[in-house]
Parts: sequence; C-alpha cells; structure tokens
Amino acid sequence: MNMIEVSGLGKTFRVAKRRPGLLGGLRSIVDPEIKRVEAVHDLSLNIEAGEMIGLIGPNGAGKSTTIKMLTGILVPSKGHMRVAGFDPVRQRRELAQRIGVVFGQRTQLWWDLPLIDSLRLLRHLYRVPEERFAANFAQLRSMLALDEFIETPVRQLSLGQRMRGDLAAALLHDPALLYLDEPTIGLDVVAKARIREILQQINAERGVTVLLTTHDMDDIEMLCPRMVIIDHGRKLYDGAVEAIRERFGGDRALVATLDAAELAKLPHDARGWPMLDTLPDGVTLAQVEEPRLWLGFKRDAIPAHELVAWLGARYRLHDVTFQEPEIEDVIRRIYEQNLLLSVA
Amino acid sequence: MWRFYLEVARTAFRRQLIYRWANLAGLMTNIFFGAVFSYVIIGLFHAHSAVNGYNVLDTLRYTWLVQSMIMIVLTFGWYDLMLTIRSGAVISDMSKPCDFYWYWFSRECGRDLYFLIYRGIPTYIAGILLFGLGVPGDWRYWPAFLLSLALGSCFGIAYRVLYNAIAFWFLEARGIGTMVVVVALFFTGSYVPVPLFPHWLLVIAQWLPFNALLNVPAEILLDNVPAGTIAFELARQFVWVIVFTLLVRLVIGRAARRVIVQGG
Amino acid sequence: MAIIADKATYRRTIDNVLSDIRLYFRLIWMQIRSQGQYKADMFVNIGTYFLTTSLEFAAVFLYFANFSTLLGWNVGEVAMLYAVTSIGFGFSEMFGAGLDIFPDTIRLGEFDRVLLRPVSALIQIASSDFRLRRLGRITQGIVALFIATAFLPAFHWTLLKVAAMCIGIASGTILFLSVWLLGATMCFWTVEPTELVNILTYGGRDMLSYPLNIYNQVMQRIFLFVVPLAFGTFVPVSYMLEKSLPFGLPNNLVFASPAVAIAFFLAARAIWQFGVRRYQSTGS
Repeated sequence: MNMIEVSGLGKTFRVAKRRPGLLGGLRSIVDPEIKRVEAVHDLSLNIEAGEMIGLIGPNGAGKSTTIKMLTGILVPSKGHMRVAGFDPVRQRRELAQRIGVVFGQRTQLWWDLPLIDSLRLLRHLYRVPEERFAANFAQLRSMLALDEFIETPVRQLSLGQRMRGDLAAALLHDPALLYLDEPTIGLDVVAKARIREILQQINAERGVTVLLTTHDMDDIEMLCPRMVIIDHGRKLYDGAVEAIRERFGGDRALVATLDAAELAKLPHDARGWPMLDTLPDGVTLAQVEEPRLWLGFKRDAIPAHELVAWLGARYRLHDVTFQEPEIEDVIRRIYEQNLLLSVA
Repeated sequence: MWRFYLEVARTAFRRQLIYRWANLAGLMTNIFFGAVFSYVIIGLFHAHSAVNGYNVLDTLRYTWLVQSMIMIVLTFGWYDLMLTIRSGAVISDMSKPCDFYWYWFSRECGRDLYFLIYRGIPTYIAGILLFGLGVPGDWRYWPAFLLSLALGSCFGIAYRVLYNAIAFWFLEARGIGTMVVVVALFFTGSYVPVPLFPHWLLVIAQWLPFNALLNVPAEILLDNVPAGTIAFELARQFVWVIVFTLLVRLVIGRAARRVIVQGG
Repeated sequence: MAIIADKATYRRTIDNVLSDIRLYFRLIWMQIRSQGQYKADMFVNIGTYFLTTSLEFAAVFLYFANFSTLLGWNVGEVAMLYAVTSIGFGFSEMFGAGLDIFPDTIRLGEFDRVLLRPVSALIQIASSDFRLRRLGRITQGIVALFIATAFLPAFHWTLLKVAAMCIGIASGTILFLSVWLLGATMCFWTVEPTELVNILTYGGRDMLSYPLNIYNQVMQRIFLFVVPLAFGTFVPVSYMLEKSLPFGLPNNLVFASPAVAIAFFLAARAIWQFGVRRYQSTGS
C-alpha cells in the first residue's frame, strides 16, 4: 500500500525584489519586480507503508519545501500528491490527524509547562480517546524513558530529553506517518545513538512509516535502507544507501599518523613532502601535515586493509583512520558526471 | 574624549535611520492620538471658551506639541539598558575606558535628535494640515523654547537611564518601568493637557520634576509664560536636570561597585 | 463558507463549533493553571494593569474639572461610556491575546506548527497567549461603571437597560475581537506595520470611549456602518442614558448589536481564512 504518492511535484516562489531607498520601497509596493525561484522541480516519489526513508541534500535543496507540501502547509504550483490516502491541500486537517512531525530545532511542546501537561494538551488537540491515550502514553513512557523528566518544564530539559519528549508528542495519536527534520542535530554521540535506536524501534514495532531529513550521513547509514537525494529542487538519486557510496563515493581517504622521527629522516621533495616508497596503483598522496598523511585511494583499486598492511610493513604507524567523502562531494560528483538517477 | 561621545551620538542617529517603516508606523500613531485628543478638546471647548488662559486653539497646539515632543523626551518602553543588564553585556560596557553615563547620554542624544527631525516636525506639520494649527509663538520665544526642549531631553535621558538602572537590583523590573513612565506621561500632559488640570493638581504638577520634561517648553512656545518668569522656569528645569543627573550617576556608581564585587 | 443545506451538515457544523469552543477553553485553562502557580506575580500583574488603566480613566474626570459638558454629555455619562467600552475591550483583549502577538508567531515560524494540527488555526492562535493580567482592565471597567453611576443621580436601572448593557458588552467583545483578527490577518501580507494594528485596536478603544458625536460625520459613519464598533459602545450606552443616536437611527438599535457583531466577525474570519490560504501558497 502506498503511503506517499507524489508525481510531477513542483513549487515556484515569486519573490518580490525590494528596491533600495525610501522611494524605492514605495515603488516596490506599486510596481514590484518579481523574480521566480523554482524550489522544487518535477519531483516524483513513491513510499510504501512501513518504510524508513532518508531524505538528504544540501541546504536550500528543496527538502523542507517538499516536506511542507507533503504535510499540507504549502500549496504546490503543480503536480499530484496523495499522502495516507488524503489530498494534503484539500484535506489538511484530516491528514494532520494521521501524521506526526518532529522538528529537530524547534519543539512543539509548550515551553513553560511540564512535559506531562504538554502531552495532555496534545491529547485534546488530537482528540485521542481516554483509553488510547493511557495505553499509548504507557508504552511511549517506557520506550522513551520519560519518567525521569516527565514533570520538568520543557525549557529546563536537555536537547536529548526534549527530542524524546517531542517524539512522544508526535506519536501520541498513533500517526501512520512520521516526518523527522534533523532529529539528531546538536546531540552528543550517546544521545544520537539512543535516538537512532528509538527510531528503529518505532519503525519496526509500530509499523510507522518514517521520512527522515538529515545532514548526517551516519543517521542515514544506520537507519535507512533507502535514501533519496535532492538538490536544486530535483531528485538526484532514489535507492539503496550502500550502492551510492560504491557508485559515486569516489575516493576514500586513509589518514595515517606515522612516526615523526622516522618521517623526518626521509628525503623531502620540492613541496616539502616526504618521499615515500612507490605507492600501489590507485593510491595517491593527497595531503601532508607531518606526522599525518592523507592517502586517497579508489575503493575498487585496493581494499582498505591491504593498504594499511602495505603501509604498516614499511613504516611505523601510530594511528590509522578513514575519511569518507562528504555527501556534498558525492552530490557534486553526481552532477559532474551529469547523472540524474531515479532508481525507484 | 568628546570626539568619542560625538561619534557615539552620530552612530545612534544613523542606526535609527534604518528603522524607517517602524518610525512611519509610530508617526501614524502619534498623529492618530493627536487627532483623537483634538476632537475631544474641540468638543469640550463648546462648553467654555477659555480655561486658565487657554482657548481652544492654544489647547490644540499644546496637544500637538506634546505628541510631537513626546518621543524626543520620554519614550514609552525604553529598556535598552535594562536588556544589557539582564544579558550581562553591561559588564563589558562598564569596563570600557569611557564614562558609562556619558556613553548612554550621547547615545540617547543621537536618538533624540533623530526623533526631533523625523517624528517631531512631521507630527506637528500633520497637526497644522489636519486642524489648522498654524505655527505658534513669537519668534522671540524660539530660542528659549529650544533651550527648554534641550533641557527636557537631558532630563528625559537621566530619567530613563535611572529607571533602567533598577535592573541592577531587580532583574525583571519592567513593571516598575511601565508604572514610572505612565506617571511621568500623566504629568507631562499626555493624558490631559497640564494647563487643563484643576488648580490644586496644577500646583503639584509644576513642582514635580516631570514638569521639566515637556510642559515648560510647550508653555514657553505657546507664549503662556510671561517674559520675566521664563528665566525662572528654565532655571528650575536646569536644577531638575542637575539633580537627576547626579542621582543617576550615584546609582550607577553603586551599581558598578556591586557588579565588580559580585563579578556579574 | 458553504450554506447549510441539510440537517446533518447543520448538526456537524454545530458540533464542530462546540468542540472548537471547548478546546479553546481547555487551552486557556492550561495557561491559567501555569500562570496561577505564581500567585504573587499574578496578583501584582493584575494590580499593575488595574492601576495603569485606572489612570487613563482618571484622565476623563480631569477633563471635566474645568468643563461642564462634552457636547451635551456630562462627566457621569462619559464615564459610563468609557466603562462599558473598557469592559468589552478588556474581554476581547483577554480572550484574543494570541492575536496580538501573531506578528511574533509568524516571524518565529511557529505558524507552520499550527497548520500541522488537526484543529482550526484560529482557535489555536486566539488562545495562544492568554494572560490573566488582562483581568485588570476588566475589573477597572467594572469599578468605573459603579463610579459612573455615582455621578448620575438621575439614572435608574431597568431590566431593559441591564439587558442592553449586557448585550452591548458581549457585542463589543465580539466586535473588538474581530478588529484584533483583522489586525492579525494583516501579518500574512506584511510583518512591518504592527503598530498600525495597535491604532486599530487600542486606538479604536480610545476613540469609542468618547461620545461619537464629537467626531466628524465620516468617522461616525465608519464606526457605525464599516467597522461597527459603535454597536458595542456608543449605541448601548445611548440607550441606557436615553440619548438619541445620529443619522436618525432608532433608539433601540442596541438589540440588533449581536447580529451586527456576529456578521462582522464572520466577515473578518473569511478574510482571515483567505490570509491563511495565501500563507499556504507563498510559504511565508
């Protein structure tokens, strides 16, 4: 069953340009200069019930615009949408009853009230019957470990606690579909892991369809089997997560911390970089900041462990880490290779 | 050093220029209230033709003068200093190598000048256009008027810095600030023109400091102060300015010591 | 707004309205509880507001220290007009407080969240900033009413006059709420002139606190036929004081006030809904 059906979605904003000066300001009211900004262009998407999808893209790519249209906040310029069986534009309030939305940076909880009061208020806002509220609340309480701060005013909560509170608030009325906008932003490593666990539970145990927007590739890799890349209002990629690194990931980087004394003894070239033994095929020395070296290597040229072994056989290694390409680099590469993929 | 203060004033003036639309909206508000009061006053003067030596035209002019000058002299809801105290930014301000009060004084002078040009004059012009006020006063009185207005402005600055400084002791003192401003507004003739006060209240009002804010300059311009008394009124204004300036400097000195002791 | 065609739709609409109203009071109640926790602060706030509004009222009396009438209205009569206006306005100020801060709501991007809920946006907004301290103005208005009657030895209460006053105040509340709503709706087009909204609301209250006949003919027509605030203020009080209305309008016009108020509210609400739709098209 399709939870989200989108075809040919487009949104063009008409932005009035303000002329400078007081007279210009007045003229702008009477005779505005309008610039058309196409935020979303011909977007098509199909998401089935129970899926967990990651939506990724640089800032200004059109992600939030798309989400706003899917939730009924924004009216599209063209295209056709059906979410949970509703038309978001015409049936906004009915749709609102079936979805939950969590914004990473803004809370929907009442700032001055204790968390429990916010949840009670939301129960009335969403018209949740008494028994269902009690059952849901008990479940969410244990899953999200709310007891420690259920009576605390929201403004006193830590970011991680507030995020858990927001999740409870979003799930209180049994939505079929959950939108998460940057849910792990600003959280420390432990809190991030916790939230990811919870999201996985929500998706697996409650069967909630989850659409997750994020900048954090780790979120996507750990949670989402499927990801959608959006840039400049267009869908660039829609498919499995592992596949994308392999196809477009390009170079990985091995960051090796060698022994400083040993490095100093090596001859250095004109750039001041140490001259190493001839590197294996596909490996290049990309950057040097003694005693650290960045070695770029193609994924299919040589497996990572072999490169480490090769290095370790010749030099003393103090530390070794890997650097993955940024998603922005991946997207840029997709552009450069001029590939517009839709693996749906 | 005075060059520094002049630059502070200039910067404050320039900063106000950015808020054109807000100023326009505020201007509309001033003109609106001027108009409402005018109608009330015109209606009242159907019963008597003159009160305390003021006829309907004088009173209308007085009302519009109050609306014109109020932003220069006494701003409702000015909490700039209080906000820096609450945020702690005041501590870095206080450790700057300039006099704390004169810094704020110069800043507010720049602001006051802005409001004179972009609020005061347009408001009065609106009054002339809407109610046929005509330009008041003998040209001989203008110097006295301007001096009086300047003194009123100085007093207004001391007053608002003073009630903001309370925040050094009571962090959330906005309620007190509101009350204090409302009382001042009352005695400057913003609710009822001071010359229309009943006699007993008039006497009280003349000896209160608030008289120094607006009423004196207005009365001078309206030719209601006999030539001999002008000097006396100006002197009395001047005394209030000195008193309040000393008072606020004392308060700030205390506050500074407290801040240093407590470390913020 | 569709015309109510059949009984089922009619009943559903009534149900929706009732549940919206119930929700509104629940939302307010939560805020009352949380503000009521700080009892001392609450009373201080109410008290301060009471004093501030009392000072404005005192100004009315000061005018009459030197003048005997204001175009045929004496001090007690003006005081009564002032009081009735204050009470109606006070209620609207209290119940529609969220409309006053709407520019901030839009600016902070919180209106999106409002649209994400399965409840009328208007109910959510109107209930969003309930401040108990507004009781200060309502209390002051009631006190002013008693003071006014003290200055009117010839005034006697009759059942009809009490009814007229209550109808007037209720209509005034709805009318002022509609003006607040119109002001809030302006924010969909521009966030700048929020002070202009204050002229409409607080300014409107100031103007209507004085007898309508001190203003010129155009303004009188505006307050009677365009933005009919007079129906919540001047019209009911004229009835109570047995004064005649301008333009030859009938003396018992006050009994039509509720209809006028509701009609004006529905018009304002339609404009609001138009504004919401515009927000959804332009996204800001």
